[in-house]
Amino acid sequence: MSAEDIIKDYQDILRQYNILNQISKTVASTLDLNKILKIILTGVTLGDGFGFNRAFLFLIDRHSKNLKGRMAIGPSSADDAWKVWSEIQDKNYSLEEFLDSERFENEQQLSFLDEKIRNISIPVDINMVIWKCLEDGIPRNIDISSTVPGGENEATINSVKEIEPAVLFGEVKAPAQDNLIQVININDAALIDAELAEYMDYPKFCIIPLISRTKKVGILIVDNKYNQREITPDDIKFLLLLGQFAASSIRNTIIYNDLKDSISALSKLNMKLNYLKDYNEKIIESIPVSIIVVDHNFTVTQCNENCGKLIGFEKETFIGKQINAHEIFIDGVSLIDEIFKVIRENKAEGFYKVNMKINGEKTDEIFDIILVPFRFSEESPEGAVIIIENVTNTVRLETELGNAKKLSQLGKLSATVAHEIRNPLIAIGGYAARVKRKFLEGEQTDIGNLEIIIEEVKRLERIVNEILDFAASREIKFSHVNISNLLLECINFAKAAAEQNNIDIVFECGSELVENANLHVFGSRDHLKQALLNILNNAIDASSKRDKIRICITTDGKDSYYDFPGSGHGGQESFSSIFSGCRTEGEPECIIIYVNNSASLSNREDIKNIFLPFYTTKTKGTGLGLTITKKIIEQHSGAIEVCSSIENGTTFAIKLPLLDI
Amino acid sequence: MKKILVVEDDMPIRNLYKEELIDEGYDVVTAPDGAIGYELYKSSRPDLITIDIKMPNMNGLELLDKIRKEDREIPIIIYSAYGEFTQNFSTWAADEYLVKSSDLTEFKNKVKELLFR
Ligand SMILES: Nc1ncnc2c1ncn2[C@@H]1O[C@H](COP(=O)(O)OP(=O)(O)O)[C@@H](O)[C@H]1O
Ligand SMILES: [Mg+2]
Repeated sequence: MSAEDIIKDYQDILRQYNILNQISKTVASTLDLNKILKIILTGVTLGDGFGFNRAFLFLIDRHSKNLKGRMAIGPSSADDAWKVWSEIQDKNYSLEEFLDSERFENEQQLSFLDEKIRNISIPVDINMVIWKCLEDGIPRNIDISSTVPGGENEATINSVKEIEPAVLFGEVKAPAQDNLIQVININDAALIDAELAEYMDYPKFCIIPLISRTKKVGILIVDNKYNQREITPDDIKFLLLLGQFAASSIRNTIIYNDLKDSISALSKLNMKLNYLKDYNEKIIESIPVSIIVVDHNFTVTQCNENCGKLIGFEKETFIGKQINAHEIFIDGVSLIDEIFKVIRENKAEGFYKVNMKINGEKTDEIFDIILVPFRFSEESPEGAVIIIENVTNTVRLETELGNAKKLSQLGKLSATVAHEIRNPLIAIGGYAARVKRKFLEGEQTDIGNLEIIIEEVKRLERIVNEILDFAASREIKFSHVNISNLLLECINFAKAAAEQNNIDIVFECGSELVENANLHVFGSRDHLKQALLNILNNAIDASSKRDKIRICITTDGKDSYYDFPGSGHGGQESFSSIFSGCRTEGEPECIIIYVNNSASLSNREDIKNIFLPFYTTKTKGTGLGLTITKKIIEQHSGAIEVCSSIENGTTFAIKLPLLDI
Repeated sequence: MKKILVVEDDMPIRNLYKEELIDEGYDVVTAPDGAIGYELYKSSRPDLITIDIKMPNMNGLELLDKIRKEDREIPIIIYSAYGEFTQNFSTWAADEYLVKSSDLTEFKNKVKELLFR
């Protein structure tokens, strides 16, 4: 090699390093991926630089993992190429100058190539030479010009010349043998993506893998379609260097942009959070409830405007101060004590319809107060939220409503009462007038008429008594009541009345429970007696001569009553609420008293109505018996139900909670 | 002798009406509810019927309706402790609507009036 040649070689090398240097400097000045790609491709194609005719860039698509065409630079025809080069030649642009020039800015529209390449997407296929490049990081210098006979398809690609292994600066330790170019015959069209081959439309090109460290970024393809200059191993050496640099700048830019995106997403999220915070604060401010947040040492950390109004201080002067700077009493109990309890026990507490005394001032307003333990985060010590609602108006409305309801009930009651006492009054008045008339006419007084008058007065008395029982909220005094004894007493009493009509009262089950005399309830003996007698008397009233009234008593709601009429499997459904109540664990043990008689209630309506006041089917009935009974049983936390069928007659079931003695 | 059917569930009142009407010189049959009242209407062929409204089994309005379907002429007095039934169209099928009272003068006058009009 002559000295001149050597000098020329070095000049070339220098020139190429210079261009590399320029590219890297320009690339470093931007973080716009498109611009970076353009700089790289321009550097590769610029006459002053590597001087390739065309350059194509494919990047690995993050989602599809396909190699996707991103950008191409180069004239789309020989004419065009000539024009561009002469222009650059004329103006003697350096890369830097060119990159700054208008031409560079407008390049975007220039390229027909560029537009097409963006539509190319090559799926992973390790047999394909471009994917092989990426796989082993070795560039390929490809020539598919010489055709192999045998098929049209194969004619386009028949051999691949490879540099193997290529010189990978710094990365792959490979022998720096520049001219290790192998010629391999390949009879497979798929080795080059068909679309890509068609698009390139030139058989000789070089593929440079773009790999940053181990991360595959994409590939760069260059060719010399227009001046048909052979691509030399030296070219490839520099291209590799450029490729490495390009790969890492591309990757950094992508990472940077990702970061930027996530930062902007974060800041959007932050904005949203702020908005939510504002929003919540606005809500807290606008609800007609006072909210105070205190921390573990009773310092007010937050409160709303309303609370300020309640305490009688500006909100701002309240926050940051100890809440015990104010004396707040809930119905005589110190709020601080309650907060302390709530924090200590970590359990919410509610005070409803209470009065408050704040700093010595008592209002006649009524409040609901809720204390809830609260901490800002896992680590922070427990504080509490105090929610105070002024319910004065609600309570007032409720009272008014209650009064109105009572009034309307009273109205209904008096209307019914008026009607109920009318019949006896008419009979009394009618017979009295009759007796008087007979007397005036000198006839003998009919004792029967007088008896009716007396009977009817008794009936009136009875009605009045029952109404009084029903209406009067006579105080009932509760004490221990031996329900076994009471039952026995009532049954014996009823037996006496029943005997007159040859009606039998028999124990179907549970008589031992009565005889052992050890069941107790907490209640009023007199009231319970009235309730039980009402039921027994009704049964007697409903029975015909020689009928049986059957009684069954259980304490655990199982077995014994299964065969009992009206309380068998069918009955069990009818008495559902009573049974379920008794079977729940943790509930107090109950006594259930069943009273059955053979007469069924005449129709469905009856079952609905029998507990209503004044509902009666008896001439001398008042219709108040069951109403009163139900009320008494409920006052004793018990329940009463009825079920009736033609086969089984009518069964009443009374449940009462037992005392555990 | 004119025969009157009294349908009334309240026993003392039923007896009162019966005795008072007998004193007035009528033949009286009584029934304690609507169903029996209808049977008696069929079997005893009364000249006039008085019916209480609120009764078990068949109430007075049902009975009235049933009788009117068969006989549009027979005089019927319907009465009740409830004044508000006048508003009920079905009472209009009766010749007279009375509110129960211990003074039976009006009742007796109406009976006479309807029997001898
Ligand atoms: N054991 C029963 N068997 C059948 N019917 C009953 C029984 N107990 C109550 N009734 C019906 O329920 C109605 C209301 O009863 P109650 O409230 O005690 O009033 P009263 O006994 O004055 O009629 C009775 O008139 C009767 O028709
Ligand atoms: Mg009763």
